[in-house]
Amino acid sequence: MARPHIEPFVDRDVGFKQMTLPGFRKGIHFKMLSIDKDNGSCTMTVQYEPGFKQPPGFSYSELELFVQEGDLKIGNKVYGKGTYVFAPSGTALPAMSSQKGALCLAFYNFGPPSFEESDANHDKADDTQQLKIISSYDGLDWQVPTLFPQTAPGCLLKILHIDPKTFGMTFLYCMTPGFWQDNISYHDVAEEAYHIWGTSWMMQFGDLPTGGYFYRPAYINHGCFASDLGILAIGRTDGDLHNYFHHDPFSTPEENHERAAAKLARMKPALYQWILTHEHNHLPHDFEFPDDTYNTDDYDSGIHMHADGTSHSHKHSGSHSHLNTPKVSRKKNR
Amino acid sequence: MTLGSTTIRGNLRPKMTKDEAAWVKQELAEQIDRYKKIVQEMEALTPQREKWVADFLHRIQTRGYHVHAGNRRVIPKNEIRPRDGRPLQVVY
Repeated sequence: MARPHIEPFVDRDVGFKQMTLPGFRKGIHFKMLSIDKDNGSCTMTVQYEPGFKQPPGFSYSELELFVQEGDLKIGNKVYGKGTYVFAPSGTALPAMSSQKGALCLAFYNFGPPSFEESDANHDKADDTQQLKIISSYDGLDWQVPTLFPQTAPGCLLKILHIDPKTFGMTFLYCMTPGFWQDNISYHDVAEEAYHIWGTSWMMQFGDLPTGGYFYRPAYINHGCFASDLGILAIGRTDGDLHNYFHHDPFSTPEENHERAAAKLARMKPALYQWILTHEHNHLPHDFEFPDDTYNTDDYDSGIHMHADGTSHSHKHSGSHSHLNTPKVSRKKNR
Repeated sequence: MTLGSTTIRGNLRPKMTKDEAAWVKQELAEQIDRYKKIVQEMEALTPQREKWVADFLHRIQTRGYHVHAGNRRVIPKNEIRPRDGRPLQVVY
């Protein structure tokens, strides 16, 4: 499953399209920000027309909704800008409507957008997570990131949602006026973000203004960073976020990937040695999630996109033994 | 949005309907066009980006490189990896 590297893209440069998928009510318009070529999961800017109405119902795939502007009535309560909704797959939302219209961001995870009218949850609704509605602007405080190494002072977070299995997260972040960070970063996970307000700058991509968006697969360089007047943005990752900082502007995703693995060998030698020794190419058994299966052959980082929209990761054949498996020398790492 | 996610819990209907498949196909076609446009725009930015990179390499050797939070370290010249003709590709 993968989405290509879409960076930068400014949604203000394109027009809205009418949502035509069966099930959805009239009065929904969207701009596609990114879409997964395999499963149809996607991120969209969504405009609900004034007077929009939708009966109770659920999405077959996990849904996150963020209100940028306007009003959205969910059940009996009217919510305004800054509202964040997380609906697990198959979990029925109450009736929704908008008197004045609402500009939102919609994240359909794991599958394409869908709406099934129902006042009850699907029989197989994801009961490991719960429906939540958060007023993120006035209901949460800004936090200094607790990701190590940390971003430079002046980048603050509000965590909206964390996936209990992967620690993939959805978060608001801001850069204070005059923010700057002189390093280059990459992560083990894909990352996407949308600028709700403000302009920031990155050495690779230039300015990203209000309405600016990116979907960036793992191991792609980004930064250094700066923002004159500050920004407010919403971001997401699809796994645990670690900041790999460096100062080589010309390193490739493959080099970054290998550097990350070397870092894992240094920082968690016992785990790395265990993986090498057992030549695991499947998800090790987790007593907490005994039903999980995961075939690494399915992994596609999304980098190296082809003209037909497919992409691939560079795969190495055979098992790696650069460290003279299985001896990941702990002495060397002291 | 879970990478390597395992179960179908996040999507109760993993096989797309005919309408969904057609919609996704159309959106993917448009995404390819967006991607190509981004690549062109980023290639056009190359001269400016080369200057930004030179400025960055100068700053980390004078003002410092952000190691962690507000901690900075001035990078000595011998720690700057030579470019050796490597391209500066930013979109993958």
